[in-house]
Amino acid sequence: MIYSFFIFTAALAVLVYFIRNKTISHSLVFGYVIVMIGLGLYLIPLLGQTLNEYFFSDRLGIIFYVVLILVSLFSAIHYVKFVNDRNVKEADVALHNAGTIFFTGAIIGILFTSHFGILWAFMEATTLGASVLIYHNRNQDALEATWKYLYVCSIGIAIAFAGVLFLGFAAQQIGHIDFTFSAIKANASTLNTVWLKACFLLIVTGFSVKMGLVPLFNVDIDAKDASPSQVGASLSSVLMNAGFVAIYRFYEAFSTTSILPWMNKLLMLTGLLSLFFAAVYVLRVKNVKRMFAYSSMEHASLVIIAFSCGGLGYFAAVLHLIMHSLVKSSLFFQVSQMHRIFSSKLDENIGSYLRVNPLGGLVMLLGFLSIIAMPPSGMLISELYMFQALIAKDYWWVALIVLMLVLIIIYGLAVKMLGIIFLKKNSSNINLQGATPYESALQLALIVIVFYIGLFRPQIIVESIQLAIQSLPA
Amino acid sequence: MINFLIILFIISLIYLAKVEMVKSYFTLMAFQGILLFGLAYFELKEIDLLHLLFILLETLVFKTLFVPLFLHRITRNRIHRHHNGPIKGYYSVLITAVIVIGCFMISYVIHDELTVNADHQVKYFTAAISSIMVGLFIAINNRDLVTHLIGYLVIENGIFLLSLALGSEMPMFVNSAILLDIFTSVLIMGIFFNKMKDYFQNVDASHLSQLKD
Repeated sequence: MIYSFFIFTAALAVLVYFIRNKTISHSLVFGYVIVMIGLGLYLIPLLGQTLNEYFFSDRLGIIFYVVLILVSLFSAIHYVKFVNDRNVKEADVALHNAGTIFFTGAIIGILFTSHFGILWAFMEATTLGASVLIYHNRNQDALEATWKYLYVCSIGIAIAFAGVLFLGFAAQQIGHIDFTFSAIKANASTLNTVWLKACFLLIVTGFSVKMGLVPLFNVDIDAKDASPSQVGASLSSVLMNAGFVAIYRFYEAFSTTSILPWMNKLLMLTGLLSLFFAAVYVLRVKNVKRMFAYSSMEHASLVIIAFSCGGLGYFAAVLHLIMHSLVKSSLFFQVSQMHRIFSSKLDENIGSYLRVNPLGGLVMLLGFLSIIAMPPSGMLISELYMFQALIAKDYWWVALIVLMLVLIIIYGLAVKMLGIIFLKKNSSNINLQGATPYESALQLALIVIVFYIGLFRPQIIVESIQLAIQSLPA
Repeated sequence: MINFLIILFIISLIYLAKVEMVKSYFTLMAFQGILLFGLAYFELKEIDLLHLLFILLETLVFKTLFVPLFLHRITRNRIHRHHNGPIKGYYSVLITAVIVIGCFMISYVIHDELTVNADHQVKYFTAAISSIMVGLFIAINNRDLVTHLIGYLVIENGIFLLSLALGSEMPMFVNSAILLDIFTSVLIMGIFFNKMKDYFQNVDASHLSQLKD
């Protein structure tokens, strides 16, 4: 079944590429989302079981799969509006939709594969898919961003592959080369820790470009800026989740070895450095899309810091990622609308947004409150858990540094966002036809889900996350 | 024979640092492709026909013929000399030599961590790590995009050597993905490369500074 799905994905992507009718092209993308829902319904009863040699129905995978379906559906809806509004050429629509299907299929592969080699291969596929999506606007910025993204991602992926090969060296020494997660985990305690450390270091370095962390975060920011907003939304949400899942798989497999404290320290250092860079850049950024991209980097850092604490931190990390995906997608979608109204991405040209476009302004305001973790946003809960996990481990100084950096970021975001929402500025060329209430209503729905999670903490989400992370050390 | 090929490969890395004409880069890439095929052929004597054909495709057809010819084609009659980076001429040779010596030292330390066929594996390991490091150095030190592409290909050659040290243990699917990776990367980068020339007149990476905060 799962093989058929990937063959179907590849065939559909090729088919969509050759279709020059926009309506049929969009319909096929919606059709693909329906097939994704079908795959989800097939996988849920098989939770925790292996599907075949290379794939399994994993609980963590399912959680992020549901997020992927939601974001893909909303992206597809927003892309229809984007195409109509900008009168995008048929060939460009075809390439974008084919790229979207290919990219989504690759992410599904990452979520459900049980083999390190295949995980790497799907990660590589996301680079190719994402490059097509980033180049959508065909202008100088898009070209520069795509070149940089493709180049740095290819190097990152090559480094990650060296990591997989180092794991191979370790496995070869015990005469056991089976690259499935379960086989590596079962034999992990007998593997040479030097190779495991080298492997994990290279994996975190290589996949940092997908999650938007230090050291390869730059190209990720450029890509989110130069691509259409719905692509920025996907890169900030589902691709970040996929990067996390990839690092998680290696972490889980090695978690029974003596290198666990070392891995935690590495992740914490990566998180702190990323948070520092996010704080520095967010203060000087003028472009709204880049500001949200740096905010995504901040949240990726918080996730990885929480994860490095273990215990409650694991739970906080997964919960935070789910909610961040929904809120950040919503904000990126709204930026597209804002861009249509003000014909600018710079904060100095955008003002009184709540008055100009009340529903859109409300989305911006609530989205802003969510990303700075103000109540009733669910992100407050996950950030509180993160600090609880830090303090439980006696990392007082880390908690203090994180708190200070987060405060700087909140200040940087607040100065710009409140200006955009409330301040009257010299905005010219305001085009109110760009304000479409149904788009804002959809974005609002995503934020309401996050508020709902924050206020009521639905049992199904809590239990799903707890079951997904139960194989990690307490 | 394997020793000889590995030494030739490392010499080709040092020579890469000195190259000034873009055309010489392509010749060197083709030369490295042949060396890699030789290494794979001697190393993987006992593999099945399918694997052998695959490696033949990857090294001889792809690394030796397709990539150099393709790069030659896209840069034809336009770019002859590459733009030097901050570290020029013989200094970059010196640095490359230091990188290679450093990688020898690392391999010496790593030797004890390899238990299966250690003496044999460590040779590949040295060449592979040197290649990855030199590739990164070339990419960082040079400003033009053709040389960036060459840096990437040198890194990929290093990865290929590393996988040779491991033998043919990876599933075919992963092998295919690696080939696809290099193929599409070079192809897509080539396409973008041409588009960039239209936009930026030449292919100096310093023109790529439109996107900033």
